[in-house]
Amino acid sequence: MHSPMEQFEIKRLLHLNLFGIDASFTNSSTWMIIAVILATAVFVWGMRQRALVPGRLQSVAELGYEFVAGMVRDNVGDGGKKYFPFILTLFIFILFCNVLGMVPYSFTPTSHIVVTFAMAAFVFIGVTIIGFARHGMHFLSLFVPKGVPFALLLLLVPIEIISYFIRPFSLSIRLFANMLAGHTMLKVFGGFVVMLGIIGGWAPLAFIVVFTGLELLIAFLQAYVFAILTCLYLNDAVHLH
Amino acid sequence: MRRQAYGAFTAGLAAFVASSTAMAKEGSGGMPQLDYHSFAPQLVWLAIAFLGLYFVMSRLAIPAISDTIEMRQGKIQGDLDAAEKANEDTRGLVAAYEKRLADTREEARKLMRERGEADSAAAAARLQAVHDKLAAQIGEAEKRIAAQRDDVMRGLEHMAADIGQDVYAKLAGQPADQAALAAKIATAAPETRGGGSR
Repeated sequence: MHSPMEQFEIKRLLHLNLFGIDASFTNSSTWMIIAVILATAVFVWGMRQRALVPGRLQSVAELGYEFVAGMVRDNVGDGGKKYFPFILTLFIFILFCNVLGMVPYSFTPTSHIVVTFAMAAFVFIGVTIIGFARHGMHFLSLFVPKGVPFALLLLLVPIEIISYFIRPFSLSIRLFANMLAGHTMLKVFGGFVVMLGIIGGWAPLAFIVVFTGLELLIAFLQAYVFAILTCLYLNDAVHLH
Repeated sequence: MRRQAYGAFTAGLAAFVASSTAMAKEGSGGMPQLDYHSFAPQLVWLAIAFLGLYFVMSRLAIPAISDTIEMRQGKIQGDLDAAEKANEDTRGLVAAYEKRLADTREEARKLMRERGEADSAAAAARLQAVHDKLAAQIGEAEKRIAAQRDDVMRGLEHMAADIGQDVYAKLAGQPADQAALAAKIATAAPETRGGGSR
């Protein structure tokens, strides 16, 4: 029987080398590109008619747009309009990677910590740069809660600083761990179905059916959480609380 | 949700630990996520895919969607404005109609009043004519009566003169002076003669 972790293995489909860097086209790359192509299909091909009364695909595209636009408007406000394309790309990319990962025999790029951490680190560094660019050294007041006695500040400022630097880790591990755990669970219970056979295998099979629904919810929810936390971090950088 | 996710994670970890012994037997190297040889290709393709999607979104999708939504908003706003204007127009028309109706009603009332006045004036004139005619007839009749009365009174005076003459002749034994007696009678009954002429 296969190990539950085998599904996460990176398989090089095409060996490529870019300036001495291993840039091989892998199964992960394949599903990233499929996600981009599908997202493009929905958002560009789906919008080709620009109909006043939208069809099905156009409704989906507009729904995604409005969803993220509302999220940015509510959480970042006026200063957030500039970053809306990035947040929309982030949300759609993670959402499509997560949901496509639910297709049997597919691969979930977001189940790899290196991918989620790269995105989280990009958000973290970007937000920090935006904060310093907008407020200069005053951005450091983010670490000093308002209306707190000085004695407490000695305790709170280090906590604030630590929680700030933990952001990229919590952001990336949350997404990665959810994907890893969900897919592992499905694989393990899939193994149970085979092990228990035609007589006892129905119970884990029923569980898998229910859990697949939950996993679809999580696939959406984790994309949403990633995007909304990015919005909140942006809000900190733009408005300093 | 987070607790659920953590629950799922621990379960997954348990499964992972359980399976790691099997993996060790197969000779593969633990969690594929920790195989740093795979980091570079994943990062390179993440950058390519993400930048590609960012380009598609920012250059193609977002302008198309925001244009469409704006166009729809404009259309809806335009339709609402047109409806509002039509509503306003209708209200104006209704007000004009109401005013016209009130004016017409007022005019009709005035006409009826005028007509009534004219009718009563004509009636009054007719009444006056009847009155006048009646008054003339009455006057005529009175004149006739007065003439007849004068005749009667003259008859009476003659009669009185004759009676007086007879009475005087019987009493005095000689005929009375005709002229003196007539004058006496005329003075004795002036009111009888005058009252009839009124």
